[in-house]
Amino acid sequence: MDPAEVEFLAEKELVTIVPNFAQDKIFLIGGDIGPLNPGLPVQIPLWMAVNLKQRHKCRVVPPDWMDVEKLEDKKQEETDSKFFTPMPSKYYMEVTQILLKCATADIPRADDVRTLIKDIWDLRIAKLRSSIDTFIKSDATHAKLNHLTLMEINTVRSFLTLSLDQMHILRTNLTGGIKPTQD
Amino acid sequence: MSSDTDEMGGDTEEEVMTAAEVLEKLEEAWLNEKFSPDLLETKTDLVECMLEQITAMEENIQRAKKGDFKISIHRMEIDRIRYVLSSYLRIRLKKIEDFTAYILHQESQRKEEDSPLLSPEEYKFAKEYQTSVEGHFNSLALRHMPANSQTLDHKLTVIQPNLDNYIFLRVNEDTQGILIEEETLDTGEEIVDLEKGDQHIMRYRPLAPHVASSAVSLI
Repeated sequence: MDPAEVEFLAEKELVTIVPNFAQDKIFLIGGDIGPLNPGLPVQIPLWMAVNLKQRHKCRVVPPDWMDVEKLEDKKQEETDSKFFTPMPSKYYMEVTQILLKCATADIPRADDVRTLIKDIWDLRIAKLRSSIDTFIKSDATHAKLNHLTLMEINTVRSFLTLSLDQMHILRTNLTGGIKPTQD
Repeated sequence: MSSDTDEMGGDTEEEVMTAAEVLEKLEEAWLNEKFSPDLLETKTDLVECMLEQITAMEENIQRAKKGDFKISIHRMEIDRIRYVLSSYLRIRLKKIEDFTAYILHQESQRKEEDSPLLSPEEYKFAKEYQTSVEGHFNSLALRHMPANSQTLDHKLTVIQPNLDNYIFLRVNEDTQGILIEEETLDTGEEIVDLEKGDQHIMRYRPLAPHVASSAVSLI
């Protein structure tokens, strides 16, 4: 899967914006967007928020979790825990990247947020790598990966699935048999 | 510019779904199809419903006055939905092209009451593709072979999807007792319980019926 496709899925997340213009209800196929009034916060999908922001029609309200203290706590939690901790948003990486790119001015202490999210990402990816190492060495055939976000899974997807496929082929060949597959 | 598309009479046997629910189901079907090695059941009702929605929305846009802000928003949404639809259909077509003989064989063995694997158009495409490829092999090579090797034996040449591919999945409903047979002689069989909300990685083969029933979805 392309990282762009993961971002495509992440763009469906709702974010809060404060529009500077008025608009009555929009009936999208995927749901209604409530009437927009200048100065009143409203929740809209991320893809729409980015478009409005680029046209200078709104101000983005950063999500609750995108706050330096909260992120520092999360980073500490992630460092202390041996397993993966639940993330505030299923798409924390993509949402942060998109918002920091188009709405830097609306996010307080944007650089610190950027650094913290990157640190959390690096911690989790390092944990993922070492747990994959253990997993493959232990010759297990399935694993549970709760609290992993799609973007993280996607970084290892092709490598992990193809290697496990090969290991499976090697294992089954110990007992003989030819498979009529193209791979 | 209002749209009366919030209540859709879908042609599913169960309840009437709103357009938003159809969209969500379509996206789920798209991801499942993307990650499964096998061709899944056709979801013609979802595809047709979305196509109708998009056409209706485009007509609405045409009728609305120019420069209206809502037009660009609707157009963006239509582009997004169109991307999912095209990607979904393209993935299915690629699988049909890769595994034509196998899929047609499965379809001919299907019982009446099971859901079809291919939509009518896809079935036609599969049959025509098979004829073209065989004709091509014939005219290119088989004609020139010695007389007793001039036919293709389907049982020997059929290419099957590798159902033992590993896939990532998320559990939608608690499922007990998935039997995972182990491949070597020393590890025995293993029974795995899946709890709602968990994410796992395992082989596709034991989970194939659960993907079809939406008990798990592929991520």
